[in-house]
Amino acid sequence: MTNTYITNATWALTGEKMDLRMGQAGDELATIFLNDIPLQGVNAISPAGEMQIPTGARVIDAEGQLFMPALFDMHASINLAGRSKRESIYRAGQAANHGGVWGMLVMPSSGFVFDNAATLDSFQDAVSQRSFATMIPAGCISENMQGEQQAPYNTLAARGISILSDAGKMPSNLLMLHRAMKYAAEMGLTFAIRGDVPVLTDKTYMHPSTTSYNLGLHGTPACAEEIGIETLIRLARDAGAKLHLQTVSTAEGVNIIRRAKASGMKGLTAEVALHHLLYTHENVGDYDTTFKTVPPLREQTDCDALLAGVKDGTIDCIVTDHTPCMPFAKKQDFVSAPQGMVALDNFLPCIYTHLISTGKLTWADVCRVCCTNPVHIANPYDQEEDVPMNAPLMLFAPEVHHKVTPDSLYCGTLNTPLLETVLSGAVTLPLY
Amino acid sequence: MNPRKDLITIDALSDEDIRTILDSTSAMKDIFTKSVKKVPALKGKSVLTLFYEPSTRTRSSFEVAANRLSADVTTFTVSTSSVVKGESVHDTIDTLMSMKMDYIIVRHKNSGIPAVIARHCKASVINAGDGSHAHPSQAFLDAFTIREKYGDVAGRRVVIIGDILHSRVARSTSTILRRLGAEVAYMGPSPLVPPTAHTGIPRFTNWNQIFDWKPDIIYLLRVQNERIDTPFFPAADYHQAFGVTEERLRRIDDLNLSIMHPGPVNRGVEICDDAMEYRNCLINNQVENGIAARMSILYHLTPQTQSHD
Amino acid sequence: MPTIIKDEIERALDAWVSHLLQSSAVKNGEPLAIVGIVSHGDVLARRLVQRLEQHNVKALYGAIDVTLYRDDLDLRGKRPALRSSHLPFSTDDFTLILTDDVLSTGRTARAALDVLWEYGRPARVELHCLVDRGGRQLPICPNYAAFNLTAAPGTSVKVHLQEIDGEENITY
Repeated sequence: MTNTYITNATWALTGEKMDLRMGQAGDELATIFLNDIPLQGVNAISPAGEMQIPTGARVIDAEGQLFMPALFDMHASINLAGRSKRESIYRAGQAANHGGVWGMLVMPSSGFVFDNAATLDSFQDAVSQRSFATMIPAGCISENMQGEQQAPYNTLAARGISILSDAGKMPSNLLMLHRAMKYAAEMGLTFAIRGDVPVLTDKTYMHPSTTSYNLGLHGTPACAEEIGIETLIRLARDAGAKLHLQTVSTAEGVNIIRRAKASGMKGLTAEVALHHLLYTHENVGDYDTTFKTVPPLREQTDCDALLAGVKDGTIDCIVTDHTPCMPFAKKQDFVSAPQGMVALDNFLPCIYTHLISTGKLTWADVCRVCCTNPVHIANPYDQEEDVPMNAPLMLFAPEVHHKVTPDSLYCGTLNTPLLETVLSGAVTLPLY
Repeated sequence: MNPRKDLITIDALSDEDIRTILDSTSAMKDIFTKSVKKVPALKGKSVLTLFYEPSTRTRSSFEVAANRLSADVTTFTVSTSSVVKGESVHDTIDTLMSMKMDYIIVRHKNSGIPAVIARHCKASVINAGDGSHAHPSQAFLDAFTIREKYGDVAGRRVVIIGDILHSRVARSTSTILRRLGAEVAYMGPSPLVPPTAHTGIPRFTNWNQIFDWKPDIIYLLRVQNERIDTPFFPAADYHQAFGVTEERLRRIDDLNLSIMHPGPVNRGVEICDDAMEYRNCLINNQVENGIAARMSILYHLTPQTQSHD
Repeated sequence: MPTIIKDEIERALDAWVSHLLQSSAVKNGEPLAIVGIVSHGDVLARRLVQRLEQHNVKALYGAIDVTLYRDDLDLRGKRPALRSSHLPFSTDDFTLILTDDVLSTGRTARAALDVLWEYGRPARVELHCLVDRGGRQLPICPNYAAFNLTAAPGTSVKVHLQEIDGEENITY
């Protein structure tokens, strides 16, 4: 057996051409770093053309392709309503694989209520048998995500849970949350919550705007999210708990987080969903339920502020907020239709097409917010080895253009505005 | 007017569509003066009224309109419980499709439902009010009532008073009146007149400003407290602050202004008792014109239930 | 394109009025109304009423829009615009002269009869037209036609009247 060599691959961060020697079982693996990014599975690297390649070795010529670590998604819901859990897991894994995502934090959902050991065990079993991608569950904050009783955090932590979330639902009982944070802080658990004041956002369906007025849809006030963010920050600071703010959607929300970080608060991180960087309330048009999201799509100024937050480090991660919705459900009226988009399938091609090739983000930004930061937040240490979990390497061909068709989606549903659009870039090397 | 299958919003109509439907409304009204108040235009056609929200007035108005065009009218009773649990719009649409209806007149508390039904049905779908979104037949009868009273809608000034935020009437009626060249202004409790509602439309906060603006028509909206869980304003304030009180009625009389209201009226809230008897109170005209306007709408829509290619 | 010019129409109207003056209704002084089918028959009706007046014969004027009674509404893509009917009197015991510009299939005349019966029970109805172009699809025959043309099916016979079209002729 000999090593596999990858030649003439372009390092995404700098554009330098490199030759790589991939490790194989039994090799001594000292992690190699490039621009401080760990390269999993690589055990030698040199400028292109300088690698000694033994005759007969397996060589992949990666001319015109980029190499970089695969992405980690901090926020995915994978439940396919009405399908088996095994199918949900299988399809999400396949979709992730095609979108350049090697691992994801799976939110609890009606199909996967991670508030007990048995559910977690059966989930882990199914993942190990069925999934193409690493799936790390987020434990529930409250029993059955009802926001009333704390879930058994010790039991969950014993199953490897490091993040707690009620899937974007902010517990309305702040006393419960405050006590939960104090209790869980000692175990080093992170609370992943979306800032919200449920009483202000109940029965609201989109960003309050001329669009919402003309469609007769009640608006979700931005202040509800901002009050929620401020509340969560203060609770977490007081309790000494780590807090990860989910799917920030407003400019002022970014400002609040920026101020808190500047004040020296530790253990505070935040994420933005990819769709909040790309779309506004105007995309809802004439009741297009594809664009129904929670929190809602807002103004262009919010998109800009969120992007600025990504650039300056206020926002730590870009996530998919992947949410499969059955076509049947999305064909209902806007009020009745479920919220959410699927985004795992084309996560990296979409980021590349809309953010990198337009100059809004660099590869270094993407590596930070989609690889290193989320891995660090989701699972800082492999429980057994006590070493950071590293992303596997992937190759990405930026010049491949492809149209997104129903057949090209692996996730099991079609609720994405990318359908029938053309994206640039494809993940070419299987991750495993 | 180009063949049009559905009537969902005023915005979707061309200027020509609006004019044609209004023009035909007067011809429809002439039918009421005959001894036989019926024409055979829609003979053999089936009309379904599908009301998920209770409304005797609008529903009867549509039913009378359909009857006068000789259509067969069926009332689809939707029990509120089956709507709350389980039954999605799609299930209902499938049922309707198998009934082979030509026209479906739908009212629903969710904004956007008629559009969904229209997309999936060959029948002509008429929006009889969806959530806070649109109520186009009301807009037509309002525009026709103003045209009948003043000869033309263009150049008239109409102030719409009340819950602009939740009112589908405010949206549709202001749209059609502005399309026809009228000027519209709003007044109401501030939480109910959001800035997003009145781009390009003046907003007044008291009656003196209204009178200074020299309107022709005072259009009162119904205070719909039954729709609202948490009040937007203290109900006790409404009549004094925004209603047509007896004192304001005298002023309205002096200035010879008209009063309109989509009904049903809350006496003592939007309007004092005397105003109902006021000589320029057009509320009854609106009801009568409602039938003619709805006949004209039914007549001008063309279902795709039979093709003649 | 063959054309019947203004002067010929003028002479035809004179002849038409003479014919009306000979009718039993006029002779016996029975109530008479000329009811035109919009949008050209009503113009002819008005002219006939005026000309009869010059002969001291009083006839009431009426106009009806038969659109809502047509049997071909579903065959057209778009619905025709509607005009108001104008028949402000009970037609009971009247002799009604129904006038139209062009008589062809007879379907318009059939619809017009339906309309008339909803305004009362006339004593007698006659069908008069400016042009009978043939091509009947119903057992309907005019009592009077000012011009008889045999136009091939598919050709269009158009009556233009000063009041509506700004010119006066018949093309076919």
